[in-house]
Amino acid sequence: MDSATLLSLRNVGVSFPRVRPGRGFRRQRDAFWALKDVSFDLYEGEALGVIGRNGAGKTTLMRLLAGILVPDRGTFTSSGVRSSLLSLNVGMVPHLSGRENIVLSGMLLGLERRQILDCMDAIIAFAELEEFIDDPVSTYSSGMKARLGFATAFQIDPDVLLIDEVLGVGDAAFAEKSSGVLREKIRSHKTVVLVSHNAQRIRNLCDRAVWLDKGVTRAEGSTDEVITQYSDFLEESSRSGRR
Amino acid sequence: MAAIPDRAQNRRSHYVNLVLYKVYAELRAESARTYVGFLWWIVDPVLSMAVYYGVFALLLDRGGAGFVPFLFVGLVTFRWLNMAIAHGATAIRENGNLMRQVYLPGIVFPAVAVLTDTVKFAVVFGLLLGFLWISGYPVAIPYLALPVLLGVELLLIAAVASMLASVMPFVPDLEIILSNSFRILFFVSGIFFSISSVPERYQLYLRLNPIASLIEAFRAVLLENQWPAWTPVLWIAALSVAGIALGVRQIARYDRVYPKLT
Repeated sequence: MDSATLLSLRNVGVSFPRVRPGRGFRRQRDAFWALKDVSFDLYEGEALGVIGRNGAGKTTLMRLLAGILVPDRGTFTSSGVRSSLLSLNVGMVPHLSGRENIVLSGMLLGLERRQILDCMDAIIAFAELEEFIDDPVSTYSSGMKARLGFATAFQIDPDVLLIDEVLGVGDAAFAEKSSGVLREKIRSHKTVVLVSHNAQRIRNLCDRAVWLDKGVTRAEGSTDEVITQYSDFLEESSRSGRR
Repeated sequence: MAAIPDRAQNRRSHYVNLVLYKVYAELRAESARTYVGFLWWIVDPVLSMAVYYGVFALLLDRGGAGFVPFLFVGLVTFRWLNMAIAHGATAIRENGNLMRQVYLPGIVFPAVAVLTDTVKFAVVFGLLLGFLWISGYPVAIPYLALPVLLGVELLLIAAVASMLASVMPFVPDLEIILSNSFRILFFVSGIFFSISSVPERYQLYLRLNPIASLIEAFRAVLLENQWPAWTPVLWIAALSVAGIALGVRQIARYDRVYPKLT
């Protein structure tokens, strides 16, 4: 692993215990491999897109990269960087005020309380919640909650930022604003992994891409190459599905 | 909006701060949820004490003059153990969603649950002390043992809660076993009778139950102006420290397995 490689996966598999109803009251226990054979490298400073259909294992892969899960087989090497998932509304409590939830959620995401208080005003302004910030979050509309969640989560700045489909949230105006700052962050940030089933989005934002299908990496390389293969595959499978 | 650099280098102190803030948040949220808020921390235990007082002192006419303080010391100390262990033991299982969003050491959750119940206990224990002083049980030198007894009970709670919390996500059935165990424990811990009053051949077995020994120790200090029997207290402390070490180690070992369990 050379110095520019931050994370490296070789034949990685992740399994989940699975219990299924069997005959009568009996239950069958086995393992479900959400990731079967995943290999790729993440280089410093790049924006890597991970593309794949539903059930490809994208979310499991993100949890692995975030350090929430560890591989059950294969090797996952990290150069010691901190990577975090951009998740909205982590651990928010409905009966607490917006302000208290910013602190709580920010601390759960790994920020120090001091850091959060320092940029509290900026978070509130970005979320456009000045009037309501001391009201309980249980009184917020879903759009207000989304704005609060995005403005808080956006504060994290790990070495590797992991983004799982959340680009624009809230109403149309806020969706544009949030996806705008996020695009900017992706373009300027050191290292980003962006997961999507939307090929166009990956093409616009990423330097390289990985195609994941049923827990297996089918391709890794330049965005155009990988997306062409992925699109061909989609066309092929929809054609054979129609037949 | 400028993003700020992630300077949370010292993870351990960060997690301690996180636990403390989460305890504050839990208490705040709980009191915000109801109309009279945190008054419930007082009203709830007082109501349950009133029920037992009604049944034992009035209906069954047990115990005589000193019975009410005797009962209340047992109830208050037992309730702390019961609540904190019940909440601590299920804490990891109940926070599965959070553990799937962001990496957090599993021990954070039982720690928050135990400390939250400890704060609520502190309020009720303060009231109990006030009640005892008014009822004519003076503060005396053996009160110096009180912090030790409280500390040992907290160790016992932490040990049982962390060990149970580490296995609860794998075996959810334990929750049912646990609530039944507490029901039995309630009747054999000497809350409304003195262990010295049961036939001698059973006393040893009843005293193997650590909370029974602790309740006796609290009563010695609060009601009889005597030093507690130190031998059982020290045994409980030593075994609890070993239990905490085991529980914490097991939780750390399965930190990244818990998010896989639903």
